[in-house]
Amino acid sequence: MSADPPGCGAMPSDPPHGRAARLEDLLAHPLLWRAGHAARQPVWSSGFARLDEALPGGGWPRSGLIEVLPVRFGVGELKLLLPALAALTTRPEARWSAWVAPPLLPFTPALLAAGIDLSRLLIVRAQGKECLWALEQALGSGACDSGLAWARHALPRQIRRLHLAAQRGRTLGVLFRPRASAREASAAMLRLVVEPLERGVRVTLLKSRGGARGALDLTWGGTYPGARGCP
Amino acid sequence: MRARRTIDLFARRDECPSARLEQSLPTRGHERASGPGERSPRPAAPQPQVARGNATPPAGRAARAAATELWLGLHLAGAAGRCAPQGLQRLAIRALRFTPRVSLVPPDGLLLEVHASLRLFGGVEGLQRALRRECADLAIAGSLAFAPTPLAALAAARGECAVVLQDAARLIGSLAPLPLRVLRWPQEVLDRLAAIGVRTIGQVLRLPRAGFAQRFGANRLADLDRLTGRAPDPRERFEAPVRFRCRRELPCESGSHGQLLAALAPLIEALGRFLEARQCGVLALECRLWHRRAEPTRCVLRLADPLADAVRLTELLGERLRMLTLPEPAHACELRAGEPVPRALCSSGLWQSGEHGGLPEARGSAFIERLRARLGPEAVQGLAVVPDHRPEAAWRVTEPGACAPSAIASGEFAAARPVWLLPVPRPLRQRGGLPRYRGALRLGSEPERIETGWWDGRDIERDYYEAVDVYGRRLWLFRERAAPHRWFLQGVFA
Repeated sequence: MSADPPGCGAMPSDPPHGRAARLEDLLAHPLLWRAGHAARQPVWSSGFARLDEALPGGGWPRSGLIEVLPVRFGVGELKLLLPALAALTTRPEARWSAWVAPPLLPFTPALLAAGIDLSRLLIVRAQGKECLWALEQALGSGACDSGLAWARHALPRQIRRLHLAAQRGRTLGVLFRPRASAREASAAMLRLVVEPLERGVRVTLLKSRGGARGALDLTWGGTYPGARGCP
Repeated sequence: MRARRTIDLFARRDECPSARLEQSLPTRGHERASGPGERSPRPAAPQPQVARGNATPPAGRAARAAATELWLGLHLAGAAGRCAPQGLQRLAIRALRFTPRVSLVPPDGLLLEVHASLRLFGGVEGLQRALRRECADLAIAGSLAFAPTPLAALAAARGECAVVLQDAARLIGSLAPLPLRVLRWPQEVLDRLAAIGVRTIGQVLRLPRAGFAQRFGANRLADLDRLTGRAPDPRERFEAPVRFRCRRELPCESGSHGQLLAALAPLIEALGRFLEARQCGVLALECRLWHRRAEPTRCVLRLADPLADAVRLTELLGERLRMLTLPEPAHACELRAGEPVPRALCSSGLWQSGEHGGLPEARGSAFIERLRARLGPEAVQGLAVVPDHRPEAAWRVTEPGACAPSAIASGEFAAARPVWLLPVPRPLRQRGGLPRYRGALRLGSEPERIETGWWDGRDIERDYYEAVDVYGRRLWLFRERAAPHRWFLQGVFA
């Protein structure tokens, strides 16, 4: 799969041709929206080089909602995000990382081992409709760097609201939903399905605004907890 | 020095009203023999020297000050003394109507400076009657005494010697028979004084100053000086706690939360101004809605930080009201604020939070409060690590952000731990001694043994395994080492 989003990656290497320069001026007009627009957004590195190449802009978006659809809870979808969360929470100007309605208890020794600063972690217990409300508050308040939520049901317009809130608050929103909801429409910037492999996960990009779609296999590093002791 | 018995606690003998008595006592032995009753309140002849004692300026000043002050000491007796703090404070609030100068002497004393109030309340007798009525209202038993110095008034009240003493000159004579315990000195000091035969205030006042200070401490001497008015005795003034409380009738009966919030807006604004003027914030706020027939609905808001901002208060109260179900439309609303708490004011930053150099906490607490207002105070929490080898005990819930950063170095967790933990391990079915969880499980090779915990009664003996289930998930299981050898699921590596 190609890492270069069509329309913007090839531009800088073009010869300084007069006509091309005028075209570039026109294309830089703020009212003009292009398909590769999302690629220019600031991103957080995901911590996995192969995933960074595949993601538009080279990482998780800094503001906006992404949807993660694991085939089963616990196949490795959180591991995918832990390196980025660790980098986010340990910045000097780090804001909160809010985890809304986690299905089980996040085990602090493992989070600490993954490098997450626990003092920036916020666990929000909410049920049903309150879960999406709490996530919207977290994303839109501007007090969080990242907002994670585990929700079973979400309507397309609710997801659109969440995405707008995330952009307003300059927050990375992550919504974990069951694999079955891949059929529904969604306004999220990224939608990815996570399947387990023997020592890693297969990530399938269902939707990637400004990037390419496709699947890639990631292998956990040897130092990663859980990589050890498996037959 | 022992021979010179005449070196007195008082620089000038004529200041001591009981000096005459003392002169007639030949020896110290005699002094010990004479009981306190013997030398009792013989009101010494008025001694004009006290008033014009310009020879010793400090004493003279204190005496002049004492002449314009009259302190009422109140000692709460018995059971009331035990349930003190509230009783004392409630009495102090009531006493504020007699005089603005009220001081608390915890746990069971109250002082009122009443010199200027005597005429208004019908003299000493009238004041006494009025105060006793207040005590009876609150079911508090106490004894009263009037004296020119606060400590003397308190001591007399504690000694249940109902003196009414407006004349500073007769002060010491009246206090002399009181036992020393009324001064609340440490028992050890009282015992030592008793050993040398000193049991009353009169006796202790007759001891030599220098020697007394050396043996019993300068603080005790200072106590005596304050008692007799030689040294000033400033008292901290009791300020009645001020709280905001405001009620408003609605223009029409309403049950809609938007209209109620609009009706509450002026009250919240007034509360904001009230707090702003005092540079305070509130930690608790109660909103009451009054109905025609049903009991008033109460809606309590608790805050993490002292807050005075009307906009944010409106926002939080709005969330609370939205969660409320009213039995019937309300016709009036009332806002009651908790005690104002001093609030640290800080200037707002140039950058927004999250931007370079922005303060992360700036809007963080507002966001947490909004979540708590709707989901309940327990719904938003932080997590911390506890250095314990047992998985159940290795974590705890904290206030958000309360976890000290990197209390434990991340390198200390060499062993693999799952990201998700089941707070209560789930028992697994077995087939042929092997665990099953939605199908067969593939067990990892080497178990990790975690055991003991005898110190808090949660002893464990387990062998932990990693296993992969049919869906490819990595699970964290353990097998009990004790007899039934049951299998449990405790975590998910995700």
